[in-house]
Amino acid sequence: MLDFKKEDIATILVRYNVAMEKTMTPDEAAEQLYPKDPLLKAVAVAIYEGEEDDVIDALDALLDCGKAPLSLIDQALLPGMAVVSNLYDQGIVFLPNVMMSADAMLEGIEYCKSKTKELPKAKATIVCHVAEGDVHDIGKTIVAALLKADGFEVVDLGRDVPVDEVVAAIVQHKPLMATGTALMTTTMYAFKEINDKLVEKGIKVPFQCGGGAVNQEFVESYSLGIYGEEASDAAKAANFILKNGAGIDKLRDAFHNH
Amino acid sequence: MAVNRYTKMAYANADEMVFGKAKFPVKGGLGLEIGAGYTIPEVNYAPRPQAGVSKEALVKEYERITKDIMARAVQIGFPAISLESEHVQQMSNNPDWGAEVAHVQKSILEEYHEEYGIKCGLRHTIGDIREDRDFLALRGAKNDVMLEAFEKCAAQGADFLSIESMGGKEVFDHAIIRDDIAGVLFGIGVLGSNDMEFVWQNIAAIAKKTGRIAAGDTDCAQANTAMFIAGGLLDKNLAHTTAIVARCVAAARTLTAYESGATGPGKDCGYEHTIVKAIAGIPISQEGKSSTCAHADVLGNLTMQCCDMWSNESVEYHGEFGGTTVQVWAETLGYDCALMNTALKTGNEKVLRDLCMLSDRYRDPQGYVLAYDNAYRVGEAIAANGNDTYLRAKAAAEMCCKILDEGIKGGKLILTRFEANALEAVKKDLAALPTERNKFIEQCMAKYKAEVAVFRPENYSL
Repeated sequence: MLDFKKEDIATILVRYNVAMEKTMTPDEAAEQLYPKDPLLKAVAVAIYEGEEDDVIDALDALLDCGKAPLSLIDQALLPGMAVVSNLYDQGIVFLPNVMMSADAMLEGIEYCKSKTKELPKAKATIVCHVAEGDVHDIGKTIVAALLKADGFEVVDLGRDVPVDEVVAAIVQHKPLMATGTALMTTTMYAFKEINDKLVEKGIKVPFQCGGGAVNQEFVESYSLGIYGEEASDAAKAANFILKNGAGIDKLRDAFHNH
Repeated sequence: MAVNRYTKMAYANADEMVFGKAKFPVKGGLGLEIGAGYTIPEVNYAPRPQAGVSKEALVKEYERITKDIMARAVQIGFPAISLESEHVQQMSNNPDWGAEVAHVQKSILEEYHEEYGIKCGLRHTIGDIREDRDFLALRGAKNDVMLEAFEKCAAQGADFLSIESMGGKEVFDHAIIRDDIAGVLFGIGVLGSNDMEFVWQNIAAIAKKTGRIAAGDTDCAQANTAMFIAGGLLDKNLAHTTAIVARCVAAARTLTAYESGATGPGKDCGYEHTIVKAIAGIPISQEGKSSTCAHADVLGNLTMQCCDMWSNESVEYHGEFGGTTVQVWAETLGYDCALMNTALKTGNEKVLRDLCMLSDRYRDPQGYVLAYDNAYRVGEAIAANGNDTYLRAKAAAEMCCKILDEGIKGGKLILTRFEANALEAVKKDLAALPTERNKFIEQCMAKYKAEVAVFRPENYSL
């Protein structure tokens, strides 16, 4: 069997991921980002480690100090999750870390909600769905988790969602943004139908679409379409809208890279 | 139809395996024999989005696609070609749609075969439509419709019958984005294999009844999901070491098709198929450098090493400078096959095989383990535990880790710290798993019934 001499390998291929890997370990990088307050830090550490029981214990310690349950969402849970999101954006931790941390944070939010009759206020509402006829939903699951981890309320319509159901949900919830994911070329055509029905009703909500066969050229073919190349683009676009407004041209300028 | 487990390897050693030759070639279509000493381009395509609006529009789209491909094949002088229609959901949910497409396509193939003598064939990959809105519904009415689609397409001319079956995906999807190796093993190795026994015994019966070929499956729904989440070298979504463990587990699962009546050619996107070929000796279709129209991967040359059909995976039908996309990619595949077939005829196939393999061997842990010599070892681990779908999936994962460890120790496979840490975590998780199937299933049933809201155990007969 043919083989290379070790020194010849780099003339054929370059492992840029090895060459570019950060010298700092994830634990070291997280340590620099944790809140200074020891009680808040305990929540952040538990979220970073994805330990749901430890999150509850750390929240109990804060509640014992007299903190209002809902205040802990903004003061402890979301900042704790922000540490993980920051490390993900830097490429220091990977998606499974984010998902496990998000699970732990959401458990914490439910716990805080169970301690009061008040309702928490999210940053904004986003309606997410998988196109009619399409059952491939792992992309939508990741999109929804990352949005929730960033403090957005997600109305998750699931997969294989009829066009009219998406339109009705957007009318009902008046979201900041809607998202659609699809794996196949024929199912993604539903996005255009949703777009046309929204336009007919005079609704101008940014409609971010991505996944599998979806490409920027197709998304640009309907007036509300914003292309989402990566799952993490959903939270980025939602935050962009909060900061800059919902102008489709501005969003396309920011998120259309091709 | 009985399920006959593989407990021995089809090949005495890895070096026996080359492209274009399989231990058990398959005759099918119009003069084709797959794995009988030559490779065959297999062109795959997707209709344009608007083509799904009606049956007439969709059938017309496939008619154009088929004519374009066949015209280009004879213009360039290819001796053989095969087409694969992966059903869009309308074609499987409405079996008459798929059947009409198969009929129109096959009629065109017959005209070309008659006029030019070109050897050709048609694969239809029926969509796994066994789902309700929120849950997998693997048994029942949706399964009946799916089998009707198989039978009608076969009756109307589809030579090779395939599917990308989805069993176990609900647990796998939950597990893979949480680095949960037990869930990966349960979803692919246990649930996926269980579902494939059910699916493939039925497909094999239809193939026998209609005189067609029960071709094969792929773990697209799971192992490819892992591979695509893992992405390129700089993507940050999943360790590539974890992705290749999922792939090796997938080999133990995909093998089930051939134990349940399938004969090959295995489906193109099953990157686990070199392992499966080593065990079962069936011919396989593969994709790689000439499927960049569909996706990027980090082992584009390597996958050619032992292929019998060579595919472009999928391309949307539209115009390019060089013709329509299906013509452009058919031509690329055809020239790739001409090169492989020249190597076969001149006795240089092992040299070309090794060049393909070596150019990607150290690019990524996925290519390292799927290199034919290492793939063979994963196959041996599966065959040694062949009678138990859990134990063989676990053995495949363990052998994958061992091969990676050896590669690291040898100094040529260099991992990032993240990949190395993920590998250590997988090894630790594997070591903690039960050695008995029933105990593992009992543990997983309890865990995933609680954690995965869409998991319905009644989909599986465990």
